[in-house]
Amino acid sequence: MLKYIIKRLLIAVPLIFGVLTLTFFITRLAPGDPAAMYIQPGISPNVAEQIRAQYGLNDPVPVQYVKWLSNVLQGDFGRSFSRAQQPVFEVIASALPITVTIALLTLIANFAFGILIGIISAVRQNTFLDRFLTVSALFFYSMPEFWFALMMIILFALKFPLFPASGLNEIGAEGYTPVSFVLDRLWHLVLPVTVLSINGAAGIARFVRGSMLEVIRQDYIRTARAKGLKESVVIFKHALRNALLPVITLAGSSLPFIFSGALFMEVIFAFPGMGRVTVEAIFARDYPLIIATTFLSGSLIVLGNLLADVLYAVADPRIKL
Amino acid sequence: MHKSLSPRVNALSRRAGCLVMLLSLLFLASCSHQKGGSSQPGNRAAMDTTLVIAMLGDADYLNPVLGTTVTSGNIFGLIYPSLLQSEFDTTTGLLNYMALEKKLRPLTPGQGKKAPKGALAKSWTMSADHKSITYTLRHDAFWNDGKPVVSGDFKFSYQLYGNPVIASARQQYLSELVGADKGKVDFDKAIETPNDTTLVFRFYKPVPEHLALFHTSLTPLPAHRWKDVKAEEFRHSPLNQNPLGAGPYKLKAWQQQQEITLVSSRNSNLPKPGNIPAISFRVVPDYTVRLTQLQTGAVDVVENIKPEDFSALLKANRNIDVKTVGLRVYDYVGWSNIDQAEFHRSGKLRPHPLFGSAQVRLALTLAIDRQSIIDGYLKQYGVICNNDISPSLKWAYNNRIVPHGFDPQRASALLKAEGWVAGPDGILQKEGKRFSFVLYTNSGNARRNYASVIIQQNLRSIGIECKLDVQESNVFFENLQQRRLDAWLAGWSIGLEIDPLDVWGSDLQKSRFNFVGYRNPRIDELCELAKGKMDTKDARPYWLEYQEILHRDQPITFLYWMKETQGFSKRIEGADLNISGTFYNIDDWKLRPSATIAP
Repeated sequence: MLKYIIKRLLIAVPLIFGVLTLTFFITRLAPGDPAAMYIQPGISPNVAEQIRAQYGLNDPVPVQYVKWLSNVLQGDFGRSFSRAQQPVFEVIASALPITVTIALLTLIANFAFGILIGIISAVRQNTFLDRFLTVSALFFYSMPEFWFALMMIILFALKFPLFPASGLNEIGAEGYTPVSFVLDRLWHLVLPVTVLSINGAAGIARFVRGSMLEVIRQDYIRTARAKGLKESVVIFKHALRNALLPVITLAGSSLPFIFSGALFMEVIFAFPGMGRVTVEAIFARDYPLIIATTFLSGSLIVLGNLLADVLYAVADPRIKL
Repeated sequence: MHKSLSPRVNALSRRAGCLVMLLSLLFLASCSHQKGGSSQPGNRAAMDTTLVIAMLGDADYLNPVLGTTVTSGNIFGLIYPSLLQSEFDTTTGLLNYMALEKKLRPLTPGQGKKAPKGALAKSWTMSADHKSITYTLRHDAFWNDGKPVVSGDFKFSYQLYGNPVIASARQQYLSELVGADKGKVDFDKAIETPNDTTLVFRFYKPVPEHLALFHTSLTPLPAHRWKDVKAEEFRHSPLNQNPLGAGPYKLKAWQQQQEITLVSSRNSNLPKPGNIPAISFRVVPDYTVRLTQLQTGAVDVVENIKPEDFSALLKANRNIDVKTVGLRVYDYVGWSNIDQAEFHRSGKLRPHPLFGSAQVRLALTLAIDRQSIIDGYLKQYGVICNNDISPSLKWAYNNRIVPHGFDPQRASALLKAEGWVAGPDGILQKEGKRFSFVLYTNSGNARRNYASVIIQQNLRSIGIECKLDVQESNVFFENLQQRRLDAWLAGWSIGLEIDPLDVWGSDLQKSRFNFVGYRNPRIDELCELAKGKMDTKDARPYWLEYQEILHRDQPITFLYWMKETQGFSKRIEGADLNISGTFYNIDDWKLRPSATIAP
């Protein structure tokens, strides 16, 4: 298996590199100018030129590419254009913890609720409970997240002011004790995590239900029951483990989400996470930051897929890597 | 089989159900606990001493040499001291500059509520030839680290503003200093500091006093703090995160993309420590959420509230007040005056096949029902716009101009006289060319979307086909700059000093913002004549004529001026909005304590 993993990682290197090269050229060839904000009446026309010279944008694109390449090979992804020339990895490092916290909480809630609901509706197929869960899962699954988030804010921040509408902490939270600070932070995370996980859990529940129904009808489940095993053992030990295989794919592909952030949630709830970093970089034509975020999400997609493949082998002994 | 197992399964799902309920209970319990926690006295006290201002995005730099956004300017304006104080006189529309003991213009009654106690200059003298200005600085001004503010700080800072490696957006302010005409300011001659309290600026040409004051009053940085920072490192120096100022507020914390907190600077005498102990600028990118937060009291000030939200907002919370200020911003429809394709191909200037004639452009203005856009969207917060001199600049505004009303019949007649007649499909035609074009605008602007739909309908009714297209802002702006669009809907925000040559100058290489390619030598002449006047008010006749010409030529269709509308919590007292900025007297604001606070 180790050999397989190393092989996959080696293949990933040229792949990610190709993605970065493509991103490099696409961003530079797309219309828009990183110095655009310096082009307005009352600002000397020299300023935009000076800024472009600083960013090295006056060279022909192939020259820029060679320079960029030699920097990247030395591990230097450059400084952000739009964020006070901070090194891009500092920008990412400040956004990542927030994104990861939200995403991990969300993923845990997603899978916990999703699997639970999926099992219940599979085991009680075609009962009222199943139909109710199916319909409500479909309802939440098809709801646009941003709209749902705004509705939750209007309901729980405005009409019934139980939760804050945005931000990570209260005004004056610096003065709290560490415990109240963390609780305050969690209190601010309730609405966004709820919105994200309701939506995600609904999708996972459908998946689990489907694959669970398939597994429950298998002969070995009948055998297990015939042996007189307890129903909970049958469901959780014999059926669930097999039914979870497709869910592992989902978990693997969720890895990039953990780091890339949820844009709408971050904008609506005013969290400075990775989603906003990425999108604001695109709007500002902040080339180094765009490439750095692409690098991050590209690598994670590759790693996520690899992880899913490895987990398959762990969960299902029939699969040999 | 299924049935026989159901009791067990039932038990299982019941257990699962219990688990869900338990989790939800835990969840809610922790929330209600926190809710209690949030209204603890400590937090309420924090709210009572903190003014919270919502902002769309983070400040770029809290450094006056580098900061370009309005937000940054608002914040560093509170941290740094200024040479002069400026005030917009609403009765005349003129900017007044004030030092401690001198004012450019006498105050008109009811104006000048803000005493110039924050100015670093005690006084100034303009030389008789208008080629130099000498400031006398006060002795009692100190940076927050206790070092005095001296004339050398200004000279040092102006060298930073003028350094091409630093690329300050304010280097235009140096364009009259000695040497600037030769391409490089000669700082040794242009700025002299004979002693710590005397500061002399020298110009290569005579400069009107108001312009000299405007251009020499850039915010200084403390030289002793910044002198070792290399120009190449200036933009990413860690000192940018930790500004040393002298103004009414100090930076307490800057959590990037989240919050900037300022605290009143207790030792400041420029003009005094801010009244409100702390000001928090919070990033709230989503508009709906900003509104919600204003309603719940989580923030106190939200700028640029859309007119359609006023009534709901005021009804929902009686502690909110909507304040307006203006008029500085207008929307317009740009019609390319020149044939842009030909211009790009051969550099030749030919009239645009559709919009090349002033009569056609006038017809388009007449055909657009500007009042109905105002009535339908802006309501009392919009005013018909005739040209780019704002009615707020009363000294220059031409109030004899009668706005072109909505008159589709006259529009049709004008078009007919120009040779545009209805074709078989109902669309006007001239020499086989249909009157059909695409009107572009930038995405994400509800007001412009609204206006463009009305314009489309209005034009359709006189036989003009107007297709609508929305472009991403960056792309739209680039297309404008490269003069690639025939017709578009955009807007301008005007400066308080009139200087329109960038927008209307006939030299299309130099006048980069003359996107329509309008050329009228008399406009160039009038702008130059007005600039040459040493007293602003003497330029009035030129500006009156300028407005008449624009009204006649209709280089663009001016749509409407908009009042800027800001939502304020009523717990703020003493907020006095001014066209020069929402936070113009923020150091004088007070917060009314909440009624429920424990004694």
